[in-house]
Amino acid sequence: MWKKTLDRLGPLLVVLLVTVLRYLFPNKISFFTEIAIYTIYVMGNNILYGYLGLVSFGQPFYLGIGGYATALFLAYVGHNPLVALLLGIGSGLVFGIVLGPSFIRLKSSYFALINAALCAIGVFIFERLLIDITRGNDGLWFRSNMSKLPLLDVRLPQSFFLFVVIVLFLVLMIYRHLDRSTLGTMFRGLQSNEEKLKFIGYDTFKIKWVGFTIASCFSTFAGSLYAINFGFVNPSLGENSRAVEVIVATLLGGSGTVYGPFFGAFAFLGIKDIVSRWITRWELVVGILTILVLFRFSKGIWGTIQQYLLGIQKRVSGSNDIRSPKGSRSAGAGS
Amino acid sequence: MSVNDGKKLLHVESIDVSYGKLKVIFDVSLYIDDGEVVVLVGRNGAGKTTLFRTIAGFLKIRKGAIRYREEEINPYKAFEVAQKGIRYIHQDKHVFSTLSVSENLELAGHAIGNKDFGPVFEYFPKIETLLDRRAGNLSGGERQMLLIAMALLGKPDLILMDEPTEGLAPHIITDLATSFKKISKTTTLFIIEQNLPLTAQIADRVYCMREGGIVAEIESKDEIKKMSFEKYL
Ligand SMILES: Nc1ncnc2c1ncn2[C@@H]1O[C@H](COP(=O)(O)OP(=O)(O)O)[C@@H](O)[C@H]1O
Ligand SMILES: [Mg+2]
Repeated sequence: MWKKTLDRLGPLLVVLLVTVLRYLFPNKISFFTEIAIYTIYVMGNNILYGYLGLVSFGQPFYLGIGGYATALFLAYVGHNPLVALLLGIGSGLVFGIVLGPSFIRLKSSYFALINAALCAIGVFIFERLLIDITRGNDGLWFRSNMSKLPLLDVRLPQSFFLFVVIVLFLVLMIYRHLDRSTLGTMFRGLQSNEEKLKFIGYDTFKIKWVGFTIASCFSTFAGSLYAINFGFVNPSLGENSRAVEVIVATLLGGSGTVYGPFFGAFAFLGIKDIVSRWITRWELVVGILTILVLFRFSKGIWGTIQQYLLGIQKRVSGSNDIRSPKGSRSAGAGS
Repeated sequence: MSVNDGKKLLHVESIDVSYGKLKVIFDVSLYIDDGEVVVLVGRNGAGKTTLFRTIAGFLKIRKGAIRYREEEINPYKAFEVAQKGIRYIHQDKHVFSTLSVSENLELAGHAIGNKDFGPVFEYFPKIETLLDRRAGNLSGGERQMLLIAMALLGKPDLILMDEPTEGLAPHIITDLATSFKKISKTTTLFIIEQNLPLTAQIADRVYCMREGGIVAEIESKDEIKKMSFEKYL
C-alpha cells in the first residue's frame, strides 16, 4: 500500500522536499539548485551502472559535452536558453548513437577505461584544441547573452531554481516510467542474464545501445543545466579526475532504483559542502566514502530506506513472502 | 515415425563443432519432425549441451548445415534463431534472478508481443501464485516451471530443453513428465535427459550420443519402452 503510494507520489515528494529546504535555508539556494542538477547527472550514470551493469570512468566527458553544446550556442549563435538546453540533450543523443556501437561491444572493464580515455581527450579538446572558441581555462562566459523567457528569467537564481525543480519533476516522472516499462525490465534482465535474454529472442546489442544513448542524454542534459546555472563553462566541468564522484554518488543513493540518484546527489553534495569547510582536499572524503559504501552500505540510502519500510510492512501484515526492493543491486565486495 | 524427407522441422546435417582447436562434435546428423518428442541421451561430456547451443545459434559450425523449416539457420545470431521460433532452455536453470517472476514472464512474452499469460498458467498453475516472488528465490522445480513457461510465452515451434529434470525431486519429475505430454500436443520438444525411465515414458524417438557423435537412433516404441538405448551409453 504505502509502497505504491510512495512510488506514485515520489517525484512530487522529492521536489517538495527540495523546495521546502530551499525556503528554510534561503542562503543555500545554489546548493539546492545543484542537487537537482546533480541528481539528473547521477540518473544518467545509474542507467549505466544500476540498470545495465556498466561502469564508466568517463562520465564528466558527457557533462562537458552538454555544457559546451549549450555554452557555445549561447555565446555565439542564439539567446534562448531552452533551445540551448535542447541542444545539450541533442548532443547526448548524437554522442550516444555514434559512440554506442563501438563502446558497448567492449568487455566491461574496457568499457570503463575507454570512457576514461575519452574523458581525458575531452579535457584536452575543450582546453587546448578548441581554445579559440572555448577560451580554454579562462572559461566561456555567456550569461548576459541569455534572453529572458516569457515566465522565467533563468538568469535569476530564484527563478532558475524553480525552473530546475520543475525539470527535475518531469525527469523523475520519465525515469519512473522507464523503470516500470518493459525497456527498464530489459535493462535489468540484461544485467541479470544477458545470454538468457538472447535465447528468448532479444537483440541485446540494441538494448545496450538504447540504454547507453539514454544515459548519455541524461548526462549531457545535466551538463547543459550546469552551464546555464553558472552562466559560463570551463574545462573543469569535464575533468576526468572527478569521474569517480558520480559513481560514488550512485552507490551512495542506491543503484538501480528510481529515487536512489536523488538521495545519492543530496548526500554526496551535502557531505562535500560540510566537509569542504574544514578540509581543502576533500577528495580524501570521497575515498573514505567509497570504501564505506562498498563494504558497509551496498544497498545505498534509498535501498536501506526501502528495506526498513519493507520490514515494517512485514511486521504489520505478518506476511513472509516479500521480495527485496525492486531491482536494487548491491555493489559490495563479493556480491 | 514418418520419414517425409525435406519436410523436417529441424534437420542437422553432418555438423562439426569445436571450442577453439578442441573439436567436440563430430559429423552429427539428426532430424526432428513436427509434433515429435525426441530425447537425446548420453553421458556427461558427450557433447549434448554443445549440440543444443549450436542449434540455438550460440556456437558456429565448422562443417555441415542446420536447417530449420528448410532454412539454414546457423549463420544467424542466437536472438534471431529465437525469433524464428526455437527456444533453448539452459541446463543451469538460470532465470533473471534479480527480477520478479512476473517480470521474467513479461520479458519472455514481450519478445513476441504476447501479453496473454493464461495458457501457460494452465500448464503451470503454481507459477500464477508466485508472480511477486524474486525469481532467484524459487526452488529448482519452480524455476524449471518458470523457464518452460517463459519458453512457451514465446510461442515457439520447437523447444530445446537441456536436462530439465536434473536435480529435481521425484514427485516434481512426475509432474513435469505430465506437463511435457500436454505441451507436446502443440509444441515439438527436443529434450536432453539422463533419467532413462522418464525417457522411456515420454520419448517418441531417442538419439544416443557418445564422445561427440550420434551412435544410435531408436524409433521403435517397444525398444524405447524396454530402454534398449541404455547399452549405447
Ligand atoms: N566452453 C567450453 N570450452 C571448451 N570446452 C568445452 C566447453 N564447454 C564444454 N566443453 C567440452 O566439450 C565437451 C562436451 O561438453 P558438453 O557439450 O557440455 O557435454 P554434455 O552436455 O553432454 O555433458 C566436454 O569435453 C567439455 O569439457
Ligand atoms: Mg550438458
